[in-house]
Amino acid sequence: MRTGLKLFNGAMAVFMLAPLVIVVLISFTPEEYFALPTTRWSLRWYREVFHYPGFVDAFLLSLRLALLSAFVATGLTFLAVYALVRFELPGRKTLDGFFMSPLLVPAVVFGIAMLQFLNLHGLYNNFWGLAAAHIVIIVPFAARAIMAALHEVPHQLEWAAMSLGAGRLGTIWRITLPLAGRGVLAGFLFAFIISFDEVTTTIFITGPAYQTLPVRVYNYLTDQIDPTIAAVSSMLILMSFGLILVLDRIGGFKSLGR
Amino acid sequence: MASIIPSDDGHGGAAPVRRRAAPGLIWFPLACVLPLVVLMLGFFLWPLLGAIVNSFHPYGLAGIDSAHWTLVNYRTLLDSFYLGVLWRTVRISFLISLITAVLAYPVAWYATRLRPTAQAYLLILYVSPWLVNVAVKAFGWTVLLSPRGLINRSLMSLGLVDSPLPLMFNETGVVIGLVHAHFMFVLLPLWAALGGIDRNLLWAASGLGATGPAVFRSIVLPLTLPALLAGMIINFTINMAAFATPALLGGSRVQVVSTLAYRINLIDLNWPLGAAMALVLLAVTLALVLAAQRLGTARREASA
Repeated sequence: MRTGLKLFNGAMAVFMLAPLVIVVLISFTPEEYFALPTTRWSLRWYREVFHYPGFVDAFLLSLRLALLSAFVATGLTFLAVYALVRFELPGRKTLDGFFMSPLLVPAVVFGIAMLQFLNLHGLYNNFWGLAAAHIVIIVPFAARAIMAALHEVPHQLEWAAMSLGAGRLGTIWRITLPLAGRGVLAGFLFAFIISFDEVTTTIFITGPAYQTLPVRVYNYLTDQIDPTIAAVSSMLILMSFGLILVLDRIGGFKSLGR
Repeated sequence: MASIIPSDDGHGGAAPVRRRAAPGLIWFPLACVLPLVVLMLGFFLWPLLGAIVNSFHPYGLAGIDSAHWTLVNYRTLLDSFYLGVLWRTVRISFLISLITAVLAYPVAWYATRLRPTAQAYLLILYVSPWLVNVAVKAFGWTVLLSPRGLINRSLMSLGLVDSPLPLMFNETGVVIGLVHAHFMFVLLPLWAALGGIDRNLLWAASGLGATGPAVFRSIVLPLTLPALLAGMIINFTINMAAFATPALLGGSRVQVVSTLAYRINLIDLNWPLGAAMALVLLAVTLALVLAAQRLGTARREASA
């Protein structure tokens, strides 16, 4: 029974990692098609990525979009969650539910609603329209991490600062934010990676001029397939794992279990 | 750290700590909440309400014919083709949640018996696929599952099969891809719930002669059911909304609501019908989530 359980868990670990590992292996092939490199390894498909401006431009766009969205979402969410945690605000429960509600709306539904909304208001094919959609999508993730962090900050320290003459915003900036720093950073990183990788809503609202990297990868896959895509994918996997390790270091996964 | 901070009520450290500051103050928290509320009203609630309005307008050659009102879009969706796609989406999404639940139990069970450091590594292993781009994951599965993919080529060169197994461009491919992509949404709540079970209960049960399956049925399952249901609900909702995975692994034959909605909105440009589809999907998802929550509470009350 115990060996059976171990074998099963081994198989599940393989199932989880197989599609990712295979992509990384194939990206090093010297061939024109998807073959596992055996004797010769090559970086030719990585060079190919940088010669294809579509991917480079899309990467820079995604980076800009994810940084801006994560920054705005984390900032606004921090202020809002701070108010919810520290004050008896009427309608606290409702507001909390409202901030989490994007999780309940399927990404396709929000994508369709946004597509029509942005078009009718002349914001289609526009960076700021895209950013607004991404901010809404990542607010619940930022809120969860920040809420967990704020509950751990003793509010007496804030009172002490205020009784010594610090203003409310000054107290938040100099006392609360540093003490809740790790949790806020975790919220920022979750927000960043979810925005960076978002496909479902984004594909409805990217105009031709604003194709993010995941959307470009998706379009490339539906159209042609060569090992360039394996090289791009490997870099995306590397980025994800880098962020995962940082998130793990700062205890960011603790807020997930709730 | 907490011990060096004097208690605020002057009765010593054991007194209950008042959590909230300055309950009378209202303008400051309101000002803090306002920016996010405005943003979400403008770019979340308003677009959704707009879609509701659009779904009651007829489709005109210039797009939405805002001068007239109609129910024709909803009537169109009652056509057996659209109902068929909706039913397939619900069926596949539920199947995925069910398979995930069955696979997640042994993983969570195994995980709770490991040392904390080993548990942390296992957590990273199961969370990481979620944080890797969807299109990238689908691409990885394509390399493995396609008719000329690694699995089929290996099976054929070993002489185990004569012709490629149909592992993708059908529902099987979608199920494999989504079980993988959304696994942690069932696993994490289950893991937490199993970790919270008092081991003495299990020892007591087996000491009194209960077999493994009986222990599972009468102790483990009832105690983890709320967590299981919560996980399955989230898992189900995101299965219903998945787009890239069904599009890339299911191929053109496996139409689900999201891929069909993409065609209607961005290729046919029939926005009123597209809006109606979005709202039906939203309504079905919310109704099923509410029903599952009801079921969960009813179960808990019955067992209490």
